[in-house]
Amino acid sequence: MRLSRRTLKAVRIFFATAVGIVLAGPLIYLIAGSLMSSAQVDAATPQFIPSSFHFDDYVQGWNQVLQARTFLNSVIFVVFAVGIQWALCISGGLAITKMRFRGRTAITAMFAVSLFIPVVTTVIPVFVVTNQFGLINTYPGLIIPIAAQTGFGTLLFRQYIVTMPQELFDAARMDGAGWWLLLRRLVVPLARPATAAYLAISVITAWNMYLWPLLAANAPHVETLSEIVAAIGQGDNFGYNVSVPAQFAATVITVVPMVIAFLLVQPAFVRGLTGSGVE
Amino acid sequence: MIGPNVILFTIFVGIPILGAFALSLFAWTLSGSPTWVGLANYTAMFKDPLVAISVKNTLYFVAMGVLPTVFISLGLAMLINFNFRGITIVRSLYLVPAAVSLAASAVIWQYIYAPKLGLLSYLFNQVGITPPLDGFLFTPGWALPSLDVVCIWTALPIGILLYLAALQRIPESVIEAATLDGAGWFRRVRYVIWPGVSNMTLLVAIISLVTFTASGFDLVNILTKGQPIFGTETLIYYIYFSAVNNSEWGYAAALSVLQFVIIVGILGLLASARRFLVRRP
Repeated sequence: MRLSRRTLKAVRIFFATAVGIVLAGPLIYLIAGSLMSSAQVDAATPQFIPSSFHFDDYVQGWNQVLQARTFLNSVIFVVFAVGIQWALCISGGLAITKMRFRGRTAITAMFAVSLFIPVVTTVIPVFVVTNQFGLINTYPGLIIPIAAQTGFGTLLFRQYIVTMPQELFDAARMDGAGWWLLLRRLVVPLARPATAAYLAISVITAWNMYLWPLLAANAPHVETLSEIVAAIGQGDNFGYNVSVPAQFAATVITVVPMVIAFLLVQPAFVRGLTGSGVE
Repeated sequence: MIGPNVILFTIFVGIPILGAFALSLFAWTLSGSPTWVGLANYTAMFKDPLVAISVKNTLYFVAMGVLPTVFISLGLAMLINFNFRGITIVRSLYLVPAAVSLAASAVIWQYIYAPKLGLLSYLFNQVGITPPLDGFLFTPGWALPSLDVVCIWTALPIGILLYLAALQRIPESVIEAATLDGAGWFRRVRYVIWPGVSNMTLLVAIISLVTFTASGFDLVNILTKGQPIFGTETLIYYIYFSAVNNSEWGYAAALSVLQFVIIVGILGLLASARRFLVRRP
């Protein structure tokens, strides 16, 4: 009995691992391919294990395909879009939870409704608005319309701030503390888990965003990594004869930071999705 | 304190939602001033064969994406919902696709789907099935499901993570009791696990719905441009094309309104499906 139970478990472990390898397969294939020689990637029989390691493809992938400027653009986009949005969301979350003012319920409802409207349905008018401000192909034009998508984040922080004891706020208000001081000294430190959940989701989403950067930042000085990776997928060879392994290497460079980040923060990620008030 | 938030939200979320309706009543190339055309964009929409095709493709793409994502991610979550040494590493294998952008996925899967030398064609040949000659992405009938597979691949991990969280909330004793009562695997899943995770099913369905509606653009624009013979023309891609390539911004706005109506319709369906999902025995 015990033996068969152990065997069953072993079979299950084997099966679970095999399925896992298949699921991670495409990514493993990308990384393996980035290390192969061009000849090996194009071999008639698909190859999975590099016969020799070619790290020079990473140099070519970085210098000729991605370029430092694009990488920097992506970093700027993510840091500012997520940073500004975070500040708006946590202050807004505090306001609709602990402050009393007219229209509070209406504002909360407005955020809730926006959760169900995918950005893709509003992208045309958002572009028109941004264009009217003359912000196309500028950093503010790339960043601000995304930072303004505050529905999800505000409700996430609201969900968290609601659980903070009211007496804490009342006492501080009695002592004459202003709301901004409360935000800095009380809410931001206490809401750290909510911030972690928020960042986990927002940073990955922003890093991988494609449609908006393609519309709003299509010039070399502002374009982001997604646009370059998309160009690889479209068969652009960047004016050079960039080899397939170098294209793979460039893709790996954009993907691996987020993969590692995601694995590290996935508990926070789940908290963010389940605590978002969608249920 | 809520001021800056509400102001930016209004300009870039609120106004655009209403703006889509307003813009749909004009003809506009983005330069010069818009011309009032009333409902002409909408009447044009009903005569445009590409609208019917792209709506059909979008519904197909979303349905064939959301349903498998829900069921497969529950199945996989159940498969890895146990403990052994090394479970963290095995789980990581399941989760990594979530962090891969659709743009990067397109680069990878393009090689998997390539004609003749592609990995999938090779596997098909190995088991004795003739793969589509022009590759999976450019053979009618194969293209749209192939794009769905890519998207499901990136969407599964979120479903798995959420279902794992839900499964861990079902007490072990309940499942043991069902087993002692003689309930087999299928009955345990049907009467204990499925009702136990029903709230999560709704959340996974909503997240997937929003994901698949949006993904209809990324993969199509990178991999197929709506081809073969408009087989992958999705509504969001057609919206983008009408605006950016045809400079018909009013028409694109009218199409956005159509997309909005469709999404609200599907969400309504989900809301009514909730009654069936959340019913407990």
